Amino acid sequence: MKKIILLTIFLSVNFAYTQKGMETISISFDNTKKIDVIKKIESLSNYHFYFLEDWIDEALISENFNNVTLRTILNGIFSETNINYYFIGDYKIILTNNNVIHDVLPIGYFNIKKTKIGEGNKPIFYSENKSTTKKGIETIRIGKENKNSNEKSFILSGIIKNSLTKEPIPDLVIMANSKKINTVTDRKGQYRIKLPIGINLLEFKSLGIENLKKRIIIYSNGIANFYLEENPELLDEVVIDADRDKNVRQAVTGLTQIKVKNIKTIPLVLGERDVLKVATTMPGISKAGEGSSGYNVRGGKTDQNLFLLDDAVIYNPTHFFGIFSALNPYTSGDLNIYKGNIPAEYGGRLSSVFDINTKNANSEKFSGEGGIGPVTSNLMLNIPVVKNKSAMIVGARGTYSDWLLKSLDDESLNNSEASFYDVVLKYNHKINDNNNIETTGYYSKDNFSITSDSIYSYSNRLFSLNWNHKFNEKNKAELILVNSEYQYNIGFEGNSTNNFDFGYKINETEAKINIQSSLNENHIFDYGISSKLYNNEPGKMQPKDSESIIEQTTVPKERALESAIYISDNYKISENLVLNAGFRYTQYAFLGETSQRVYIDDLPKNDATVIDTLHYSNNEIAKTYGGPEFRASVRYSFSPTFSVKASYNKNYQFIHTLSNNTTASPTDTWKLSDLNIKPQQANQFAIGIYKNIENNDNIELSIEGYYKQSKNILDYKVGADLLLNEAIEREIIQGDGKAYGVEFLIKKPKGKLNGWLGYTYSRSLIKFDSEFTEETVNSGDFFPSNYDKPHDISMVLNYKLTKRYSFSANFVYQTGRPVTYPIGNYIYNGSEYVFYSNRNEYRIPDYYRLDLGINIEGNHKIKKLAHSFWNISVYNVLGRNNPYSVFFVTENGEIKAYQSSIFSVPVPTITYNFRF
Amino acid sequence: MKKIKIYQSVFLVLLVFFTHACVEQIDIETLTFEDVLVVEAIITNELKHQEIKLSRSIKFENEEPIYESNAEVKIIDDSNTYFFKEVSEGKYLSIEEFNAQPNRNYQLLITTKNGKSYVSKEVELTTVTQIDEVYASREIDGFGNEGISIFVDSYDPKNNSKYYRYEYEETYKIIAPYWSPFDMVVVDDRYIVKKLKTKEEKTCYNSLISNTIIQTETTGLTDDRVSKFEVRFIPRNDPIISHRYSIMVKQYVQSLDAYSYYKTLNKLSGGSGNIFSQNQPGFFNGNIFSKDNIEEKVIGFFEAASVSSKRIFFDYYDFFPEEALPPYFIECELFAPSTTMDAGDPSLLMELLKAGKVKYYMKNPNYPNPQNENEGKYYVVEAPCGDCTELGTNIKPDFWVD
Repeated sequence: MKKIILLTIFLSVNFAYTQKGMETISISFDNTKKIDVIKKIESLSNYHFYFLEDWIDEALISENFNNVTLRTILNGIFSETNINYYFIGDYKIILTNNNVIHDVLPIGYFNIKKTKIGEGNKPIFYSENKSTTKKGIETIRIGKENKNSNEKSFILSGIIKNSLTKEPIPDLVIMANSKKINTVTDRKGQYRIKLPIGINLLEFKSLGIENLKKRIIIYSNGIANFYLEENPELLDEVVIDADRDKNVRQAVTGLTQIKVKNIKTIPLVLGERDVLKVATTMPGISKAGEGSSGYNVRGGKTDQNLFLLDDAVIYNPTHFFGIFSALNPYTSGDLNIYKGNIPAEYGGRLSSVFDINTKNANSEKFSGEGGIGPVTSNLMLNIPVVKNKSAMIVGARGTYSDWLLKSLDDESLNNSEASFYDVVLKYNHKINDNNNIETTGYYSKDNFSITSDSIYSYSNRLFSLNWNHKFNEKNKAELILVNSEYQYNIGFEGNSTNNFDFGYKINETEAKINIQSSLNENHIFDYGISSKLYNNEPGKMQPKDSESIIEQTTVPKERALESAIYISDNYKISENLVLNAGFRYTQYAFLGETSQRVYIDDLPKNDATVIDTLHYSNNEIAKTYGGPEFRASVRYSFSPTFSVKASYNKNYQFIHTLSNNTTASPTDTWKLSDLNIKPQQANQFAIGIYKNIENNDNIELSIEGYYKQSKNILDYKVGADLLLNEAIEREIIQGDGKAYGVEFLIKKPKGKLNGWLGYTYSRSLIKFDSEFTEETVNSGDFFPSNYDKPHDISMVLNYKLTKRYSFSANFVYQTGRPVTYPIGNYIYNGSEYVFYSNRNEYRIPDYYRLDLGINIEGNHKIKKLAHSFWNISVYNVLGRNNPYSVFFVTENGEIKAYQSSIFSVPVPTITYNFRF
Repeated sequence: MKKIKIYQSVFLVLLVFFTHACVEQIDIETLTFEDVLVVEAIITNELKHQEIKLSRSIKFENEEPIYESNAEVKIIDDSNTYFFKEVSEGKYLSIEEFNAQPNRNYQLLITTKNGKSYVSKEVELTTVTQIDEVYASREIDGFGNEGISIFVDSYDPKNNSKYYRYEYEETYKIIAPYWSPFDMVVVDDRYIVKKLKTKEEKTCYNSLISNTIIQTETTGLTDDRVSKFEVRFIPRNDPIISHRYSIMVKQYVQSLDAYSYYKTLNKLSGGSGNIFSQNQPGFFNGNIFSKDNIEEKVIGFFEAASVSSKRIFFDYYDFFPEEALPPYFIECELFAPSTTMDAGDPSLLMELLKAGKVKYYMKNPNYPNPQNENEGKYYVVEAPCGDCTELGTNIKPDFWVD
């Protein structure tokens, strides 16, 4: 189709055509090619056909015509094809591909009449001229023009794959006719776009994919699959939201999307690409510090984030005190972080949803990817199982630090141990066009020994099964079954008689049915039902050996069922106005077997106020909570590149971490809401303005503001004991929170210099007021939460020097987080004691850090065993001694203050990555 | 302390990877020091001059306690007012003897010299419960050390006491291992004179008061019974039990509020630092408040606690018959400092005697020692080894029973 035929139709056609072709002919053929049929007709009659042989397909046809008109025969032959015919002059027949040759001008062609005419019955006059057509734009014809059709637009759908790897390309933007119409491919590379009849110019854009334009001439619904080429600088760009204008277009507020493959150039620490670390460079998402495993999103606590890996909850998404993320960068596809408007299908956490997808395996080609760094090695394999049907992706990562530690001479070090590994396996199976199964298994394990007498370990295990069923084009359903387990153990083995094992475990199982129905172009409904069973084992301490005098202590197990029903409608009110309205009803039941203490109402919970203990038998409902959760967002576009959005979001949370560390730590335990601990709730209002400035290099600007109120936020009485405490409600106070902030983001996704700059001003305040002093904190006034960091600046820049060399830099600044300082000593009862300031009255010094990196690509020879690149980076170039925490210890009656920091000098790293 | 170790080791691990992580001790200067009134106020059911101590909070940089003097202190109950008088810096005693009575509400009122007024919540005397028994027993502690445990038993049949706090005062006999009846003194900076000792230096007594918070509760038990509760553990190599030892255990029955206050105080002092005792730091109020400014911090808890005490005695050989004594408080070594005077300068022995660092023990039988010309005529020993008054008092306490 390189030579594109000219089909300029002149108007000087013979009007006598109707008489032509009325002669009758008898002809029969058996398994004959159409081209031969045409030749036969030519030989039997005086007619001559004019056409290009390319147009005529090779299909064999058999037919018997007896004394019928030539028109009937032609209708028969070309009925299943895109060929139209046209009688012209004496015995001439022009065959056309797609087009109908019009012999009358459509009404309104010369604008004589002003009545509005639908485009559907307007003929398409399309003249292609080499001088005006850019080279390389292929024209694709879909369907056959039908004079009688009144349809104005048609649906084009299909799958887009990578021409090299044959993998589907998800999140590829398809824009038609200068972006007025656009769509995005789904995870399986599928797209669906409604195009007006006739000529459309489609642009395909995605990160790492060569931009492509196709001319589509559409006359009916049809399918077009495309293979797009990889951009040779595939991984060079540091871009988050790859999808052009998606930020402006989507109805939801507060959505951050990160594509793991695009984070290659961000400087590393200890050689690991880390998708969650990139997340913290986005406005509104922060970490308490290096070496803390929790994330704070929009002023929320670290337990308020729902981390989902292929729909299953990951309780601790980090390794080694949060220095590494537990997500394998090679198998992770993309990460969506919902921090504003959380879709109705998700619930149970107040602040955010981190929805992490594992890549879909490609069933056509074996491939792999790996990395070798100073601490860890990582390998991912894509293994086809049945061609075009099923495949799996396996990723494994592990440390060899243990070996390093053991080989050291220093005695204090070779007794230490720190190691972790994680394994992920995803299998996807296409049963048929309408049924797909995806299943993921994941396991991660950390071991570390920080004093010679104790060994800590924790693990995450999850399993997920997703069956996708397509009823028809408009109705799709997913059945999701997931199970997750998180546990940790502490083994203490000194020389004495108090050796023990401590264990904590939580397990949850969820079933969910999620249905998507497109009522019409303007309404897309998502609805479903889900139910989740929690099994929580809050703690168990047992003697490690027979000599141990430790008594076995077990805090009784907890069980609860959290169920929800939800529906949301993405309602396109007009081209400019889109409303996404969601409703979720959550019901939580705390189940027996359990004993629950009853306290006198409105008095502090303690020994003196217990009035009763109630016992519930197995599966008996001890307490229920729940309520409606509304999720709504609206988007109004002033132009395709400028929109305003607003949202309101309500959430309940029934599971809470118990941690009086400022930062999340692997020894935090979870607690389910029960008779005495109420669920947390939050309301969030957000508004945002999104503007894309388009020139050669797109620049995206956004400002989002939010205000969040929360209720029943957990905090602890001074001196609270949390581990192995059966009556934990006596240590807990519940109060109000409020958080607000403004988030600015400037992003330049493309060009030699690309990257982004984010600035957030935010506050996060909490309040615990009661008429009883033991339940009051800071006189019952609002005070900054542990993670209140008003100013937060993040900058990621990448400069592409040549195709092979690029430089990147990452800068972070944060206000130091609040801390409760000891402010003086006093003598009491003959001993010296410290007294503390009001809660969180002071702040640790500000945090800032600059990282630099260089990426060196291997050469781009096509015939090469593996494609490789080197990454050299320096973490904390400025050598800033960022205090991670400040803490105080009374030693021999004297108070000593310690400051800990993790990386106080620049940390260089070199990593080798390869792909085959 | 373990907490620090945790960090240290984690960071040491990282150190391996060319990183430098650190936990360093930092000097904390009090950021914004708050000058806070500290009140130690327990009245008991003992008829006595009740005692209240007032002091101020201290900056980290300072070491000396600061007392609150010249305050007006009084306690009122439903019908009486008891006035207090400062007897020494910061120590106030009631002018008249009184004892706390059950079913009366006591309230502490303080006006400091700068005119600020403080008032406590009203408290009642807790249930009077006697200690049943205090006894010692040879035990092995949680760390595998052998020693003597001091246990307490108590029982409240009315099931009202529940919260107990203990204090103790221990007194032990000290016998100087290198005691000699002779003393040696320096006269006129020139002569060493040996003479009979004029004061008791062989047998002494020393008393110590507990300074930790020792608490137990009987909630959760069917009976309000304290049974074999350990208030003190003395490792067998502790010299204080070498000879005769006595301990008086005081049991205070506390209210829940007072108990909670002391418990929190104890937790925050980081006594048993391990990951199981991560505590939420912060300021916590007692039951004393400023009248003028409710947000002013006041440290301390006013309580009316019933008290009961019992004393026991035991000897080392009661538990460790025929076994070696624990080592002495210090290591004692005989040596013979030079007695030679160089050019009229005092000899080394003279200097040591004058400084009170050594005590005479015996003549040096090897003197003069040809191998070591510096060896002097007399064997001496470090002062505490020959003179027990360095470690205690030579006055036998009134309660002492041999």
